[in-house]
Amino acid sequence: MKTKYLSGISAICLILTLPFFDWIKLANLVALFSKMGVTMDMAANLYTGYNLYNLLSFVQYSGQGTLGLFAMVLLILVFATLYFNIAHIVRALLNDRNKAKAPNPHKASDLPLLAAAKTAFLFGIFTSAATIAFVLFANIKYKVAGFIPGASVFLILVISVAAYVFTKKLEKVERARYNEHGFAHEFKKNWVLFIMLVPTFVYFMINNYLPMLGVYFAFTSFNFRDGLWASPFTGFKNFEFLMKADLFRLTKNTILYNVVFIGVGNALQIIFAILVSKVTVKWFKKTSQTLMFMPYFVSFVILKVIVYNVFEYQYGLINNFVTQAGAERIDFYNTPSYWPFLITFFYLWKNIGYGMVVYLATIMGIDNEIYEAAKVDGAGELQQIRYITLPHIRPTFIILLLYALGSIMKGQFELFYQLIGNNGVLFNVSDIFDTYVYRITTTQPLSIGLGTAAGLYQSIFGFLIIVVVNFLVKKKNPEYALF
Amino acid sequence: MSNDKDFEISAPRKIKKSVGTKTFEGISYLLLTLGSIICVLPFIIIVSGSFTDNTTILTKGYSLLPRDFTFAAYQTIFKSPKDIIQAYKMNVYYTVVGTGLGLMMITLTGYVISRKEFKYRNTISFLIYFTSIFGGGMIPWYLMYANVLNLKGHTLAIWFPALMSPFLVILMRTFIVGAVPDAITESAKIDGAGHFTIFFRIVLPVLKPGLATVGLFLALGYWNDWYRSSMFSTNSSTWQLQFYLYDLLNATTAMKQMASNVSMKTADLPTESVKLAMAVVATGPVLLFYPFVQRFFVSGITVGAVKG
Repeated sequence: MKTKYLSGISAICLILTLPFFDWIKLANLVALFSKMGVTMDMAANLYTGYNLYNLLSFVQYSGQGTLGLFAMVLLILVFATLYFNIAHIVRALLNDRNKAKAPNPHKASDLPLLAAAKTAFLFGIFTSAATIAFVLFANIKYKVAGFIPGASVFLILVISVAAYVFTKKLEKVERARYNEHGFAHEFKKNWVLFIMLVPTFVYFMINNYLPMLGVYFAFTSFNFRDGLWASPFTGFKNFEFLMKADLFRLTKNTILYNVVFIGVGNALQIIFAILVSKVTVKWFKKTSQTLMFMPYFVSFVILKVIVYNVFEYQYGLINNFVTQAGAERIDFYNTPSYWPFLITFFYLWKNIGYGMVVYLATIMGIDNEIYEAAKVDGAGELQQIRYITLPHIRPTFIILLLYALGSIMKGQFELFYQLIGNNGVLFNVSDIFDTYVYRITTTQPLSIGLGTAAGLYQSIFGFLIIVVVNFLVKKKNPEYALF
Repeated sequence: MSNDKDFEISAPRKIKKSVGTKTFEGISYLLLTLGSIICVLPFIIIVSGSFTDNTTILTKGYSLLPRDFTFAAYQTIFKSPKDIIQAYKMNVYYTVVGTGLGLMMITLTGYVISRKEFKYRNTISFLIYFTSIFGGGMIPWYLMYANVLNLKGHTLAIWFPALMSPFLVILMRTFIVGAVPDAITESAKIDGAGHFTIFFRIVLPVLKPGLATVGLFLALGYWNDWYRSSMFSTNSSTWQLQFYLYDLLNATTAMKQMASNVSMKTADLPTESVKLAMAVVATGPVLLFYPFVQRFFVSGITVGAVKG
């Protein structure tokens, strides 16, 4: 089969992308180093040839921050190439088995395999072309022919292009045989749908996908003289600093608060939903539901006003009562130990109504005849709840729980910021990742690298939690899986 | 989604209530009354504080019911209403522009990813969903708008970032799938209708509940936001209403601090009651509309909780 050749080519590409070969060679060292301002001491740390894996160390030791972002993109590309080539080879090895297992033998084509091959070769092209672009970029920037692409770069480029064209041809034959269509056909048929998506594409690119490249700043030490794009690359220094200083506290606070919010929140939401469902007077039912849902609709700034009014030292409502009763005033805003409870209370205050609505809808959907039958059999109220209501709201509970776990590392920035603000006395018990990063963004531009590192850690940690939980759920009951 | 119909289900009238049932109902009424009071009380404190004389607040503190009833705080606000009117105007502007554009983009996207004949609908749904489980973090996001696009101080930076959200896109898709049966769009297609015709003539007219729900979620988000002003505004004339309120709270605190430092009488300025009156003015519209639009939010979050 011709597809066997393709996986062979992938294997060659794979070997070429491994860090045995120099992808970029340094030449004209004297001229280059003087242009870059590299001293003798710094030069001791440098090699004459680099691959994409250690290119960032060159950026670091030569102090060339301007090349850093580009070098990071190359690193990501080379990892992607590695991954897609391995994925392609694995798929090729399993291809016959997959085809035999396919539900519809008439549709068991080689198309998925060819698509994997195409992706692998496409990334080979991207990576090698980007490396050449990097060399050109650097040479033009320093006005010296100081960088030369290695032979393996051109080799991969040529091989990948040839293999890509070859795959395309195979795909065309396969498509004709199975009456399937590719992107060009889809675009021709549904171009209107693509046009409808243009604003959405622009939005998510600007708001979500392009900023992902900015995680590069987590590896730099920002200073105003060099600016954002040329600040020195420092490797994992920011993470080391974070680990020594705040990482444990932030992780602990963020996760603990979220676990309490999710646990207590869901329990109370379920309890109140059951209570509302038991009420038979219509207006009471409607009013209590409306009133308990109301806090969800006010902004967190209003929440700040409320909390301030109730807990303020001199004029606050509680201290008012306390002094009237003849006791000492309580200094809430300078006593950290109160705040975990206050924050949790106001989270619940704002969110009980929201979850209650969801659970209530589920409870209302339960067939009333089940309850009637249970009553005839002599089941009491608590037994009905235990054996009818709770099992019925289990699916809703699991879905809400999964959603909540997905944001376990994020958590309620506005709540924390409006309640605590910049009150440093309380940071120890109230600082979560979002408030920490927000403070850095707005008040400490010099710590941008540190803040980005905290954000990146938060993102990756949260992402891993979701992937693992989702994997476990999918294994147990695929219906509940998020993706 | 009609609430009235749902409420009737749990009223067992034929079978006589047992003692246990009665006790349970009693507890329900008690706890729900308690819960409702806790949820409403803070609003009452704010409103009554806004009608209380400022000196009374300063000498006797905040209270549940207004003492020494006065309109002074509201008079102070409306004596020089220029700032608050500006903040109100900007907030309405952000809410209208953001909700309008956002709703349009979300609906179009929801339509596209609900088309069965569209080969890449799952890929696109996943790419949108992915943004809710992974991101570059706050600082790269901030730098994108402030440094790369250079939008600091521009009103675009305030309404653009909240135009869409994965939750609302998926919610809209669920609404579209529920509202328009495939058979109808299929037959329209056979009659030669293009996607824009199907979208405007067939989907939009039956999508009113979905549009209302998603639109209200967007509008609520815009109305209550203060965060983007705190990051991107360079000039107080572009502030969102909530950020204006936020600044006022902090500024009066600072003012009080300063006054007490130089031992000046702060009582001349009705700072405390003005803060509360301002909070009432800023939240007023939301709570005014809330009873009428509540059902849309209810339908939105119950539909949204079903896995899309």
